[in-house]
Amino acid sequence: MTNPFARLGLPESLLLDPASVEDAWRDLRRDGKTDEEAEASGNRARTLLSDPVSRLAAWLDLKAPDAAPDRAVAPELMDLFANIGPVLASTDTLLARHRKATTALARAVLAKEAVAAQLGVQGLLQEIQPLKAALTERFPEFERDAASGEFAGSLRALGQLKFLKRWEEQCRERLLALLST
Amino acid sequence: MDDELIIGIDLGTTHSLVGVVDSGFPLVLADEKGERLLPSCVSWPAGQPPLVGTGAMRARVLAPDRTVSSIKRFMGRTFADLSPAEIEETPYRLVPGGRGEILVQLDEQTLVTPEEVSALILGRLRETAAQALEQPAGRAVVTVPAYFNHSQREATRKAAELAGLRVERILNEPTAAALAYGLDRLGEAATVAVYDLGGGTFDLSVLQMREGFFEVIATAGDTRLGGDDLDLALARHFADALGLGDLSGSEAAALRLRAREAKETLSNEERVTVRLPFFRDGESYELELTRERFERLALSLIERTAPICRRAFAEAAEKGAGKIDRLILVGGSTRIPLVREKLHEWFGLDPDLSQHPDEAVALGAAIQAGMLCGRVRQILLVDVTPLSLGIETFGGLMNVIIPRNSTIPVKAGELFTNAVDGQESMAIRVLQGERELAKDNWLLGEVVLPFAPGPKGSARVGVQFSINRDGILEVLARDTATGEDHVLEIRNAAVDVEDEAIERMIGESIDFAFEDMNERIWTEAKLKSEELLPAVDEALAAVGNRLPVEDREAIAAAAEAVRSVLASETHDAKALKSANAALDEATQTLAALLVEAAFEGVGP
Repeated sequence: MTNPFARLGLPESLLLDPASVEDAWRDLRRDGKTDEEAEASGNRARTLLSDPVSRLAAWLDLKAPDAAPDRAVAPELMDLFANIGPVLASTDTLLARHRKATTALARAVLAKEAVAAQLGVQGLLQEIQPLKAALTERFPEFERDAASGEFAGSLRALGQLKFLKRWEEQCRERLLALLST
Repeated sequence: MDDELIIGIDLGTTHSLVGVVDSGFPLVLADEKGERLLPSCVSWPAGQPPLVGTGAMRARVLAPDRTVSSIKRFMGRTFADLSPAEIEETPYRLVPGGRGEILVQLDEQTLVTPEEVSALILGRLRETAAQALEQPAGRAVVTVPAYFNHSQREATRKAAELAGLRVERILNEPTAAALAYGLDRLGEAATVAVYDLGGGTFDLSVLQMREGFFEVIATAGDTRLGGDDLDLALARHFADALGLGDLSGSEAAALRLRAREAKETLSNEERVTVRLPFFRDGESYELELTRERFERLALSLIERTAPICRRAFAEAAEKGAGKIDRLILVGGSTRIPLVREKLHEWFGLDPDLSQHPDEAVALGAAIQAGMLCGRVRQILLVDVTPLSLGIETFGGLMNVIIPRNSTIPVKAGELFTNAVDGQESMAIRVLQGERELAKDNWLLGEVVLPFAPGPKGSARVGVQFSINRDGILEVLARDTATGEDHVLEIRNAAVDVEDEAIERMIGESIDFAFEDMNERIWTEAKLKSEELLPAVDEALAAVGNRLPVEDREAIAAAAEAVRSVLASETHDAKALKSANAALDEATQTLAALLVEAAFEGVGP
């Protein structure tokens, strides 16, 4: 896998802001290189670096290639972890009933539950946001640690962020599906 | 880049067009009769070469079973994927092929594939271009609905190749329309939504124009939703209103033709008189249709586009494109005034009508073709893949490798290890779709990768997905121990679906298949009745008091009609379907009231 930072000509830093990633990508595309391969790796680099979680993963790949990320759910995520399963499961049951329904009326009968499910999923997303922010706010600290060869904190954060990102995606997916009801 | 000509083709469900850039301007080419819209229709008169376009349309009523229209609906799909209703409503005969693909059976001896039918249409467009331009046209940009999956795109490419065209680019239809819109507005910064409701497909794409970039932010759609469905509903309404009962193939074809004409007239007029001269046994029929009545039929179809729009708008908003500055309408079905009214009602959006709904896609294809052969200056066009791609992992889950709405071209990979000791191979199943369970997604292909047995976690397989600029996927699996690569061949259609069922159907005689079909339709209709009847009771109990008495009575009568057909011994599938349709229509307002009630007490 190519180094996404190098691909876009950006410094290997966790603190990149999305606007500079976007500008670097646009410059690359404007270059007029028509090679599909180069275009694909540039697009990929943009995607990886725009999102803080995949940026952290790409950064760790370069800085500490042999380190294993922490895969355990941290205690501060446990409450959310316990909440998320039941909300998603009940939403899925509702969505399955909705998919089976073939008439407007049968779908309308489910509208009330759909509204409730939407509120439930939105509630989860609101819990995820601050937890995610608390971890990404520590990026400057991870940069400082890296200078002295210390990666324990960033590896643990990556493990937690991956859980949070996955849950966030699952919630968003449900929310979009509910919007289509 | 060489200067050899490239043409742009809009291969549509009902019409197809060809365009080119001439002296810096995109234009749609006309055939020798001056026609720019070629009906996407092919007919095979017995013992003669096939007719394409207008001639084939005329043959539709005379030889409905040898005339193929709306073939785009079947491109790249499997027979198992078709619903009984789809098979029944198609005027020509569809049969499964040996690999589970869809074939059109013209007579006992003749089978044609959807790709071959499309190739005849594409071949005609190629001739039109060659005649108009007085030079051969061998290279093309061909458009597809944005929401077409890998197989549907591959089928389109294959059709073009059969027609002797080299496909230089597969371009998404709404993106093409946006190109046509944006060509003269490159200096502007705007977020544009393209609402593309054609004969058979619906797409909604949100694009951002900024600093010379044309970037698709989000796209959503339904490849089985379009104006064809309206023609069918309208034809059914005519048959019911005139008490015509069972229709022959030609009668059904004639009704559909009249339905389409009536639909088109009602875009400009308030009422239309539908005439069926010498329709049956020398008897003529006549019927008046108002726009209001038509809109009641059209409403449920148009409403199916709303959640798709909401979805795309929500995804665009997440990516910072929340405010839509312009709405462009593409596709013949957007001429229906109710479409515009509804878009205003739902989203407060009024369309920019500067684009010709029939020609915008072909013009965009021509512009893209012009860019590829250096006739127009480059626009930085950035498109996305409409559906997530991934592989099945342990526990039957879908592991997404490239999420939907990712910018293309794109390449992404992941490393997998063996889950158990001594494992000798790994099966890689490539999936496309948005559902969490692998089985709910579209299976594109499968490869078994062998490796040397070892302890759990010792084998490492890298799987790399690349999507090219045409939205077509290639999958590479690499055993990192040996460095051996396996290119996974993504076949045109998933094959392991209900193989047995397909074989059984092939073995059965045509007559039996008909009986079977009636029973399948009855079962499908019965399920619908069983869904509707309790929903009616529940809905009436909840919000029935908000309905006028006459509406409640109409609903009760329609429900009673369903019950009585359901109770009859004869299993009259057609009668049950039409009773269901009547109840469905009678309960539209009730459904809307129920949804309204669900949002009461919830913030904006």
